[in-house]
Amino acid sequence: MKDLQRLRTSLKEEVELALNAQIKMEAEASSKYLAMASWCEVNGFLYSAKYFYKQSEEEREHMLKIFHYLADQGVMAYSPEVGAVPHEYPTFRSVFETALQSEINVTHSINRLVSLCRRVEDYATENFLQWFVKEQVEEEINARRALELFDVIGEEGIGRFTIDRNVYKITKLEVE
Amino acid sequence: MSLNVSLHELYRTSKGVTYQCDLTNRIVLNFADQVMAFRMADFVLFRRKAERVNLHEMIFNLDDEYDFEVLEAPKSNQKLVLTLCDLVQLRDLLAGTQFTLNLNSMLHEVLYTYSY
Repeated sequence: MKDLQRLRTSLKEEVELALNAQIKMEAEASSKYLAMASWCEVNGFLYSAKYFYKQSEEEREHMLKIFHYLADQGVMAYSPEVGAVPHEYPTFRSVFETALQSEINVTHSINRLVSLCRRVEDYATENFLQWFVKEQVEEEINARRALELFDVIGEEGIGRFTIDRNVYKITKLEVE
Repeated sequence: MSLNVSLHELYRTSKGVTYQCDLTNRIVLNFADQVMAFRMADFVLFRRKAERVNLHEMIFNLDDEYDFEVLEAPKSNQKLVLTLCDLVQLRDLLAGTQFTLNLNSMLHEVLYTYSY
């Protein structure tokens, strides 16, 4: 009797479902960054807005990377439903605190995915996920660096203005 | 080669039976007097559809529209109209079928006998 599952894909169903869940998480992260960009832009922090627009694009790219991987493996990737995300932040600093927390959550999720791959002996997917492991280190550094600016510059006087001007230097973004 | 040689029974309940056809690589479902054939990917989609139906809603919502559920089979233009009991029985059959498919796959894996 043929192994019909193997004819379809070598990806285990639980890995497939977990990767689809990760797609949703990346899409939500992209949406959250867009909301942060919007908040920054309307509050006059244009450099920070640019930074968050870029982050939003990156998260979408991450989502598509997983999307294409699933398709390459012969299984369906699902376009995720993304619910409402917060658009209100009490302070300029809290926007960056939320961003860092979001990155930490994504890192934990990627780690759980890697653990799952090891448990079911899916080394191809684990290898694919190593790119995300490395990427998350960088994402967390950027988010943490942004918060450090609040500590080293301070928010008094023209502090917030200076922080905003320096945020773009984290990823060397230009503002028109 | 006889057609019967390529048909393998996967799972059987009092309400239905599933087979695997090695000639067409299809899973054949016989349930509620209807016969449907699925490619593996479509079978998985159909099983997930059946699993996603909210049974609690069917039990507790007294509105007429919750008395039955229509499940469409992917790519076959066939539909199953299912009552609550039908749905439970269908899920049982599909879960049993998936178990046999998993078991067969595991056997192939440990015996290194991937065949076409």
